[in-house]
Amino acid sequence: MPRIQGVDIPPDKPTHISLRYIRGLGPSTALEVCAKLHIDPQRRAKELSDDEIGRIAALLGGDAYLVEGPLRRQEASNIARLKEIKAYRGERHRKNLPCRGQRTKTNARTRKGPRKTVAGKKGVKDLR
Amino acid sequence: MSRSLKKGPHVDLRLLAKVEKQGPNKEPIKTWSRDCTIVPEFIGATFLVHNGKTFHRVYCTEDMVGHKLGEFSPTRTFKGHSGGKAKAAPPGK
Repeated sequence: MPRIQGVDIPPDKPTHISLRYIRGLGPSTALEVCAKLHIDPQRRAKELSDDEIGRIAALLGGDAYLVEGPLRRQEASNIARLKEIKAYRGERHRKNLPCRGQRTKTNARTRKGPRKTVAGKKGVKDLR
Repeated sequence: MSRSLKKGPHVDLRLLAKVEKQGPNKEPIKTWSRDCTIVPEFIGATFLVHNGKTFHRVYCTEDMVGHKLGEFSPTRTFKGHSGGKAKAAPPGK
């Protein structure tokens, strides 16, 4: 089982698909990594030699890519910055509401979490 | 869609002129141009940004460069839903 950047272990898929299990690598960056290291993207991840895995790890560990821990840290600090300067988007993050102008009268369940039914509100009786 | 780079950031030129001729006394500048981008020249200036009803005091710091003035002057007030006592969000921050 290949192990790159800490905990990522995707074995039976083609290499370029497996690489996408690493946070920070999407479809195009995964292919780019394969091309840079002259690895056939269609080969299964379990067929990668230790040397190839080492090279992938070295490339991702360098400055060229921002993945996993450092990426998460940067994301968190970007949000912290928005909160600190009291920007509208920061306030939306603080309230766990969508930040990009989506409607919140309905939907927005990803941000708001599971529905909290309020007793006495219109429509509640029909649901019971 | 984001703004064309060719045009550069949108800055209210009259507001920029006011900031530039402002001496060290730094009186807050009343403004309605919420769509004006905060440029490096604005750092250290204080604005009173209209939110449709009142003016909201905004002190510009380095972190705010690139944002718009309106982002710091909330236009809505949410004081919680009716009936909810424990869960009602406290007004302000």
